[in-house]
Amino acid sequence: MDFSFSPQEEQFRQRVIDFFQANIELGNGAKKEWSSGMGYGPNCWEILSKIGEKGWLCPTWPKQYGGQELSYMYRYIVMEQMHFFLNIYSTVGAGMAGPVILSHGSQEQKDRFLLPIANGEIEFALGYSESQAGSDLAALAIKVDDKEDHFLINGSKLFNTRAHYAQYHWLGARTAMTKPKFKGISLFIVDLKTPGITISPIWTVGGTRTNEIFYDNVKVPKDAIVGEMNRGFYYILEALDYERISTVGGLKRDFDELLEYVKKTGKDKNALIRQKLACLATEIESARLFALRVAWMLNRDQIPNYEAAMLKMLVSEIEQKMLNTSMQIFGAYCQLQKGSKWSQLEGSFERSYRDSLENMITRGTSEIMRNVIAQRGLGLPRG
Amino acid sequence: MDFDLTELQILLLNSAEKFLEKEVKNLIREIEKSDSGYSPELWRKMAELGWLGIVFPEKYGGIEGDFTDLVLLVEEMGKALFPGPFAATLISGLAILEYGKEIQKDQFLPDLIAGNSLIASALLLPDPAMGAITMDEKIVIKDDHFIISGTRLFVPFAHVADWLLYSADTDQGPVILLIDNKTPGITTTCMDSIGANKPCEIILEDVVVPISSLLGEMGQGTRIVNKLQSWGALTESAYITGMLEQVVKMTVEYAKEREQFEKKIGTFQAIQHKCSDMITDVDQSKLLTYEAAWKLSHKMPATIDISMAKSWASDASRRVSFMGVMLHGGNGVSEEYDMQLYFRRAKSSEVTFGDGDFHREIIAQELGLQG
Repeated sequence: MDFSFSPQEEQFRQRVIDFFQANIELGNGAKKEWSSGMGYGPNCWEILSKIGEKGWLCPTWPKQYGGQELSYMYRYIVMEQMHFFLNIYSTVGAGMAGPVILSHGSQEQKDRFLLPIANGEIEFALGYSESQAGSDLAALAIKVDDKEDHFLINGSKLFNTRAHYAQYHWLGARTAMTKPKFKGISLFIVDLKTPGITISPIWTVGGTRTNEIFYDNVKVPKDAIVGEMNRGFYYILEALDYERISTVGGLKRDFDELLEYVKKTGKDKNALIRQKLACLATEIESARLFALRVAWMLNRDQIPNYEAAMLKMLVSEIEQKMLNTSMQIFGAYCQLQKGSKWSQLEGSFERSYRDSLENMITRGTSEIMRNVIAQRGLGLPRG
Repeated sequence: MDFDLTELQILLLNSAEKFLEKEVKNLIREIEKSDSGYSPELWRKMAELGWLGIVFPEKYGGIEGDFTDLVLLVEEMGKALFPGPFAATLISGLAILEYGKEIQKDQFLPDLIAGNSLIASALLLPDPAMGAITMDEKIVIKDDHFIISGTRLFVPFAHVADWLLYSADTDQGPVILLIDNKTPGITTTCMDSIGANKPCEIILEDVVVPISSLLGEMGQGTRIVNKLQSWGALTESAYITGMLEQVVKMTVEYAKEREQFEKKIGTFQAIQHKCSDMITDVDQSKLLTYEAAWKLSHKMPATIDISMAKSWASDASRRVSFMGVMLHGGNGVSEEYDMQLYFRRAKSSEVTFGDGDFHREIIAQELGLQG
């Protein structure tokens, strides 16, 4: 057993940290944009392209597509620092769309999309969820008709975050009425400026913008399909396997801020508060070890399944718990929002407290993660 | 980064699994009813396997493993509810290795490693709020002897131990003494415990031991006690992890077999989600324990890591064993099923070498929080 990075990885990690420190103002600007709930603003795009320039957005990819042909541990290292400095730990392009294009896309798609993804120039909005297809993703209904020289798409999507600034929709859509339902789904890359697409905002309790997207007789070219027809659900699952790394980089940063606050205000004289913070530190460390375990498995071409579900569940639940604890520590002051002279730490925890709910839902709810752990990890039978 | 075991560790664990399955299965039930709670024969066999020497240098008969090896072995023991002062004896030996004079190492370590000698640490003074103390605490140095009176509680397996590592405060500072358990004036009472782990009370009344009993130097006592505490907390975390892995295994097997409402209960999400929480809890305990052991093996500071491991393991011990009982339904509370054995031992382990609250206070201090 070895819980340390290799000397080369450690050196790389230091280089990544140095990079973010050298670009600290830009990074803070990006973090501010992201934390406003509006997603990528100009600072985000600029820092992403700088990270891309280094070849760090997709470090595991082939060099011809903007990668560095490095192992997964390097991707983990970048993600951890991105999480820490920007709160954004990956783009959808680098984490989900890109890897599927790389393994199933046409040569034209590879040539067209991979380099811009690796360079941080474009982004994809995940187009999975619909009003009747949440955890039961295979129930998605948005309909694609094959019209010989084009596809015609009609229907709607819900909670497709990033659609208001991404250039492309990574669209899961129904291409056949089948039983089981998941065998009639295909994946498409759709330019979000295509006529007939309407994007309308939906605001979360955390003040984050997500979207409802309407397709009204939208014509897309035949080469928009990714891989084979009706294999989309498999690709979606496969993409989930690629994007299983979570990090505690952001969590640890916020925890340290809380720790400093408690020391400065002398609240650490309260044994209850000391106990709670010690418990959080322990949980965060355990989650960090889970994250390293998943990265290590990917590094040796093992597909983590229950380990990744555990990680995702744990990181999002610990985040919620940390924010809950911070609220308890602030007491009555916790309810005050940014702008009040009595709000603590500029109300940032108040906002995060609301926003953290989303992480327990998105990318698979905690309940779905528990199903995965029970069924894939422990071999319990499906009901 | 490497979460794998070495080939040697895999060999060790395979042989441990076989040995424990053959020699230790159900032993806990017998031993619970016996007075000694310990089997000398089993001890000799373990010595033959080299287990007692796992963390000791070759020159004393050891096999020069590290804390990770120790933790892995103790974890296997936890799965089998191994009874007896294995970890307790080993950490006493480690204290002698680290602080003892050459002559003490030569005297104690080969015997310990050969399975001929049990050493129990007697560190905890009774809390006067918890009961009347009948023996006044006293230690005087006269000529070339210590004369000692006092009470120590929760001394593991003191009734069968050959030697005691006894901590006391002298006017020249805290000390640790190696006391022959047969010295006149020592009264040992083995107390019935929820966990069948044979905690003892020892009362010393004017016990006379030579000055050469001193382990290390005068005044080093607190430092040695702290070391013993942290090694103890680490090995107890490993034992708990093993116990809980077994609890999850038994529970999942049960859920796959047991039928209610004409279905296997393991198909119900109410059951599945609890099992998921249990295995997550156990994995957290396991990785925190491994990380702490790895740091100790590489001589890195590990105070916070050990306390993270033990605070988590202590609380997981209670949570997971409780859930194991619940998911076994009526069978969980039946004497005949093994689940109750784990549930009971989990409580003893939770409070041994510091419970969750105790270790969280240490973590808080390490984080720079001032009480």
